[in-house]
Amino acid sequence: MPRPIDLLQGTLDLLILKTLTWGPAHGYAIARWIEQLTGEVLRVGEGSLYPALHRLEEREWVAASWELSDTKRRTRVYRLTPKGRGQLRAESGSWKQFVAAVGKVLDATEQPT
Amino acid sequence: MSAWLRYFSFLRRDPRADAADEVRFHLEMRVRDLVARGMTPDDARRAADAEFGNTERVVDEVVRIRTRIDRRADRSEWMRDLARDIHVGMRSLRKSLAFSVTAVVTAGLGIGATAAIVSAGYSILVRPLPFREPDRLVAIYSENPERGWNRVNISWPDYQSWREGSRSFEDIAIWSWGSFTLAGQDSVAQRVNGAAVSSHLFRVLGVAPQLGRHFAADEDGAQRARVALLSDGIWRGRFGADSGVIGRSILLDGRDYTVVGVMPRGFNFPDRGELWVPFQTDPSSESRGNRQYAGAIGRLNPGVTPEQGAADLRRVDAALAIEFPDNNRYWRSEVIGLRENLVGDLQQPLRVFLWSVALVLLLVCANVANLMLARAAVRSRELALRSVLGASRTRLGRQLITESMLVAGLGGVVGIAVAWWGVRLLRFAFPNQVPPYFISLGLDETAVMILVAITLLTGVLFGVLPAVRMSRVDLNTSIRDGDRAGAGARSTRLRSALVMSEVALSVVLMIGALLLMRSYRNLQGTDLGFQEQGVLSARVTLPQVTYNTRPRSFEFYNRLTEELRRTPGVTAVGHAQGIPFSGWNVMARAPEIEGMPVLSRNDQVDTHNQLVTPDFFRAMGVELVRGRWFTAQDRDTVAPVVLVNERMVEEGFGGNDPIGRRIKVNGWPMATVVGVVRDYRHYELPRPMGPATYFPWLAWPTRGQTLVIRTTLDDPASLLPQLQAAVRAIDPQVPVSDVQTFGEVVSRSLWRQRLQGNVLAIFALMSLVLACVGLYGVISYAVAQRTRELGVRMALGASRRTVMFMVFGQSGRVVLAGIALGLLAAFFAVRIMAALLYGVEARDLTTFFMVPVILAITALVATIAPALRATRVDPMTALRSD
Repeated sequence: MPRPIDLLQGTLDLLILKTLTWGPAHGYAIARWIEQLTGEVLRVGEGSLYPALHRLEEREWVAASWELSDTKRRTRVYRLTPKGRGQLRAESGSWKQFVAAVGKVLDATEQPT
Repeated sequence: MSAWLRYFSFLRRDPRADAADEVRFHLEMRVRDLVARGMTPDDARRAADAEFGNTERVVDEVVRIRTRIDRRADRSEWMRDLARDIHVGMRSLRKSLAFSVTAVVTAGLGIGATAAIVSAGYSILVRPLPFREPDRLVAIYSENPERGWNRVNISWPDYQSWREGSRSFEDIAIWSWGSFTLAGQDSVAQRVNGAAVSSHLFRVLGVAPQLGRHFAADEDGAQRARVALLSDGIWRGRFGADSGVIGRSILLDGRDYTVVGVMPRGFNFPDRGELWVPFQTDPSSESRGNRQYAGAIGRLNPGVTPEQGAADLRRVDAALAIEFPDNNRYWRSEVIGLRENLVGDLQQPLRVFLWSVALVLLLVCANVANLMLARAAVRSRELALRSVLGASRTRLGRQLITESMLVAGLGGVVGIAVAWWGVRLLRFAFPNQVPPYFISLGLDETAVMILVAITLLTGVLFGVLPAVRMSRVDLNTSIRDGDRAGAGARSTRLRSALVMSEVALSVVLMIGALLLMRSYRNLQGTDLGFQEQGVLSARVTLPQVTYNTRPRSFEFYNRLTEELRRTPGVTAVGHAQGIPFSGWNVMARAPEIEGMPVLSRNDQVDTHNQLVTPDFFRAMGVELVRGRWFTAQDRDTVAPVVLVNERMVEEGFGGNDPIGRRIKVNGWPMATVVGVVRDYRHYELPRPMGPATYFPWLAWPTRGQTLVIRTTLDDPASLLPQLQAAVRAIDPQVPVSDVQTFGEVVSRSLWRQRLQGNVLAIFALMSLVLACVGLYGVISYAVAQRTRELGVRMALGASRRTVMFMVFGQSGRVVLAGIALGLLAAFFAVRIMAALLYGVEARDLTTFFMVPVILAITALVATIAPALRATRVDPMTALRSD
């Protein structure tokens, strides 16, 4: 198993928003989903996940409410807001451009003239 | 829910506990997963904890973010509440439009009037003068306490002694009034006012030219240089704001002067001056007794008070009195703070205005509060209902305060218009419609800030009372009885008390106004001793260069007088050095009067002295008491003739017949009295006329004279074209200035008294209307309240007369109590205006009697409508209603 890569702040926001497109979730579920989807390559540090969630709420990209979990335990559930959905669209576009650009450089075989 | 309640609800839900709970849930879930994968619970817990890391840090971070979120939410909730309150308030104001318009207009009048007066007061009494460290500047005059003279001009040697001998002044500078004929090669001659100033005067004031330079130290004195400083106005108006004007030469009084600088915009020393030249001394200014230069301005050393400065100069004075007993024994310096010197005569009327407008504002607040109470009474059922439906008391109170603030705010908007108009009116009140440059009247930021402050104050003043009352409304009775029972009676009592204070305030204002108006009337009705109707006057000044000999001036004025006399409608043309109220108050001493004992220097008669032509008094409409007028033959300068006035006969000749006796006036040869002229008012009212002597101008022609033209035309001003044409025909280089009818001269001289009377009259009228509107409202309401009671009484046989008297009785009690209170207050309040009165006592019985009568009659009229309504109550309807 390769050593997990720690996530950058902006990237984490993007991933959280993406996971929430499948529906409302609490913090633990979000963390597990991200790890599973990346084949445990990306590790979400809980130390940064929760502050990130509250910051997203502050920006009104996600909304939160206290609900009961399947274990009948009070828990905070996050859902994507329309504003957050728009943000996700915009951000994932530029992310893909970024990845493609970095890829081009890394795949390059000739020194640019 | 109001913002602060919400705040408390957040305290109940602790954000830290929430964050910790969220983290704990995460750990529990992780443990459950790990156990499911086969770990022991203990291992799983340890692994989960290790994975998560420092939970404290995460919780702290989250709490920080949450606090930010909550604070923002509070703010926006508060704004939402406010917006809702405003929305609801506006809707409810729209619903009762008559109430809203009355309240807003009333508030607007009060706010606007107050803002206008307070901002005028600020700019005159408080705003720093436009000089560097103005508190260190003082004006210095001469005074003669023995004879009770003060603010007398100073002499050049005294000024020099003060400047050299004093220790507490950074510097002292001298100046003198001046007016100049400004002419160009191709432009019209123009008369401009200004001053001759010592080279360092503007440096003492701390005002630098915007262009060019100050006068240099060697440019004043006996060898004064022909250099000039221009005002911004002249520079723009005459030279098109051309910066190349520096170094250019201009024609002043026919001589070439070089422009060395342009003073900054708005600088018009001494009050409306436009042009300045260096101060010049000549042999005559070397005499200590020659106190003719306008004044000195001193800059005190830092930390020195004006009193210390004055004491310092007194020390110099004491030495001068010993060294020069002839000229200085009875004289000493007088030091006055510069602001006091410039605006001192406006302070007293302003104080009266400020007090009056405060009363007006109080009255306005009482009136609007009254309206609010009336409305609150009508709405008590609505409010009670809302309260039952869950609106908290604070919420309702807040709603009511918001409504008052809305009324005040809208009133503030109306107030801006009123204040704008008021300030314009005040500006117009100044002579020439322009206040001197150190008073800037206008709706600037300060005025707007004052207006906003007054608006807030007003909103609180008239909003708090109804709000407090409403939150005490008894819900049960209100819902059951609507606006009828107990609360209504209490409210009527409170409103009666308000109206009573309104009446009292109105009494005070009306007494003040009446006193000032009567003072103005008295001044206006003063027997001036001349006939002001049908007279046109104009100042004519001959340039010194071309009219450098007496025969030339003589020739010019004779031709002009002849020409004007031939003009149709003109009956008499004369001229003199100064006309009444023009400020031409030249005094001379009469040391020797034939047949009278010789008096010591300080006891000799001072006489107003003028050069006049034979027809001057005829044109003025002044009577000859005895003897004869001057004739064209009275041109002897060695043994001249002279006219004296009645006061001179009294004071100088001891009441004896002066005709044929001789009198010596300083600076003139011994002259024989040929006639006695009736006293006429020459000094600004209310100053009485003093002794006067008049010498024949034909014997000593001068260059500057004021023409006085008597005409049979309805409008004397219509002679202006002929006058200008006549002057131009003789010499186009001669300027004509200060053209005004005598009617204007007289009316202008009373501008301050007129302003005082008008301002107070406006306030008094406002107060009377407001008090009566308040009275009408309360009595109408009381009648409506008592409909059932009145119905019962009438059903039991009370006559209409009885019912009517009941209503008048109620109104009368309120008005009489108000009048009594008002008279008592006025008795003490009039003291502050005693100094503004003329020909009427502050506690004038007639005024104190007339005002209550006027008020009582007006109040009676305001009560008629509700009283009639009371008599028309139909017993059956009244009993059945509700």
